[in-house]
Amino acid sequence: MAPKPIGSPIPDSLYPTLSVLMLAIGLVITASFFIYEATSTRKSRSLVKELTTGAVASVFLGFGSLFLLLASGVYV
Amino acid sequence: MRFDLFLFTLAILSSPVLSDLVLPKVERRIDLTSQVVRITTSLKVENTGSDLVSEVLLTFPDRQANNLAYSTATLYEGKGKAKASAGSLPVELVHPKDMPPSLTVYSVSLPKALGKGEGLMLDVLAVFTHALQPFPEKITQADIQLVLFQESAHYLSPYAVKAQSLTVKLPDARIESYTRLENTKVHGSEIKYGPYENLPPFSYSPVVIHFESNQPFAVAKELVREIEISHWGNVQVTEHYNLVHDGAQSKGEFSRLDYQARPYVRGASAFRRLVAKLPPRAHSVYYRDEIGNISTSSLWGDSKKMEMEIEPRYPMFGGWKTAFTIGYGLPLRDFLFELNGERFLNISFGSPVNELVIDALFVKVVLPEGSREISVSVPFPVKQRQETKFSHLDVVGRPVVVLEKNNVVPEHNEHFQVYYKFSSLSMLMEPLMLISGFFFLFVACIAYMHADLSISKSSASYLSKLQWEEVQATVQQVHNIISRCLAMHDKLEASLRDLSRTGDIQACKATRKSVDSLLKELSKELKPLIAFLQSSFQAAQIFPKVEELIAKERDLQERLMAKHSTVVDCYEKKLGGREIENRIASHHQKISILRQEIDDLMEFIDEI
Repeated sequence: MAPKPIGSPIPDSLYPTLSVLMLAIGLVITASFFIYEATSTRKSRSLVKELTTGAVASVFLGFGSLFLLLASGVYV
Repeated sequence: MRFDLFLFTLAILSSPVLSDLVLPKVERRIDLTSQVVRITTSLKVENTGSDLVSEVLLTFPDRQANNLAYSTATLYEGKGKAKASAGSLPVELVHPKDMPPSLTVYSVSLPKALGKGEGLMLDVLAVFTHALQPFPEKITQADIQLVLFQESAHYLSPYAVKAQSLTVKLPDARIESYTRLENTKVHGSEIKYGPYENLPPFSYSPVVIHFESNQPFAVAKELVREIEISHWGNVQVTEHYNLVHDGAQSKGEFSRLDYQARPYVRGASAFRRLVAKLPPRAHSVYYRDEIGNISTSSLWGDSKKMEMEIEPRYPMFGGWKTAFTIGYGLPLRDFLFELNGERFLNISFGSPVNELVIDALFVKVVLPEGSREISVSVPFPVKQRQETKFSHLDVVGRPVVVLEKNNVVPEHNEHFQVYYKFSSLSMLMEPLMLISGFFFLFVACIAYMHADLSISKSSASYLSKLQWEEVQATVQQVHNIISRCLAMHDKLEASLRDLSRTGDIQACKATRKSVDSLLKELSKELKPLIAFLQSSFQAAQIFPKVEELIAKERDLQERLMAKHSTVVDCYEKKLGGREIENRIASHHQKISILRQEIDDLMEFIDEI
């Protein structure tokens, strides 16, 4: 069996696009999270809603910032 | 000279050893065109004894052997021009008992023992560093650099040599002096000794050649190469050089003006640039030192290679030092492979800089976090150890394989392999770190918003704030209930429309029943809220509006019920459409006005 070259799971050229896209989505969800925090009162706030919004936003921001690092040449 | 001692040692040799082999022909070529001395010896070996011989011994004087950086023996088959390489043979250091003490002996083991009368051809390449001795040892800026090279005109061997010759290739420059023996010829930049015939074992005839050499004597006192693998698509190589010009020491003062005006006369011994051959598709190349980027570099390349020319900050004269770092990224696909579930890195060992001698080379291979079962395969002996490095987004650190080798020459630029096992799932560690970081931020925000951070829990302003928040929450709840009531109203209207279309009175009645009970429940829920708002001092301003809203809603509800009953009644009596229209016309107008007012009030309350 001949050795098989290993590349990256996602083509390098897609990193900038992916990072912009995911960071944009992540920041929009983050904005909605903070709007909710600011407009609801302490009594009417729902913890589940806060946590789910935060979790979804952090997934997008996490992958977005990873691709941003890779696109800018910091190979983690 | 020191040869005397050496000859004395040879003289006291009692008996020749291992004399079963003879060398019918030995041709040596010594290449002195760079600072690295390369001696290529073509040996013809023949066994004259009756015993089988499975090894050929090569001897070097200790003085030379200390500088030996690299040696390889190649076996040749066939004769004359048609000879072809049949693979290289292992060369090992051995310590036979009956050898003179000042000799270092290497043994070439043959793949198949030589019988009586059999022979073979062998090419031995030996590479030496620091073998050229500058003489004079100190020169000024304007002087040329002269070096001494010492060797024996006769091939030093434990075997008898029948015919031999030696050719020394010098750089195209002045030859200051050389030892003249019989049969010595100078031809351009080549000196030829021999042929000499029928010499006994351990023949030695020292020659000294004194010549000009202005080649770069670039020696890296220490070179640290760091090769970092990222499975996200990159192999990052960073090389820290600690460079010195190891030729004749510079003395006197350095004049930049003289150097700039006539660099080849007033600085012949200096070198100002180095060329590094990087692998193809190298990207993000940089060249810097402790104070920042060094701008004097250029890079060009094609699909086969990339060449980088770097100039240190100042021309390098004898004894001058400089330290710098170069770095470049390489595509992962070219260097990382998978075989039988194991991954391996296949990359060259030495420095990419041309004709560089490295005194101490450290190659550090930084594997990704989570690599297991690491093993290394290097084509020559190296010292090996492991350490851990912490880099971007690491938890337990990355395993690092450190390979250490002294006296490295360009011949060591062979590929070596680092094998390891790695699960692709471990790649998700880095994004998970980032995600958990962001999530922690959000959780901190949530905790801050939920926490009560006021210091005096009994102050009037704090209490009023608490009350006001409670009022706000209650008003919000009232708002929610009223909007649910309005939804019920819409449901009733919808059921009336269904009735006019299908004429199903029972379904309409059922809807009415369920809506009635739900509305009753909602009004029950509303009661304690209203009571609270009434009693609260903070709600005094807003309470009239809420009250008005509730009253209007009740009014609307009654009207709607009345309209509903009328319509259902009419359908039961089977009255005509026009009759029904007439009966509910008054309700209709009132309902739409009330609905408008309620919507306005709701909006007002929502803004609090």
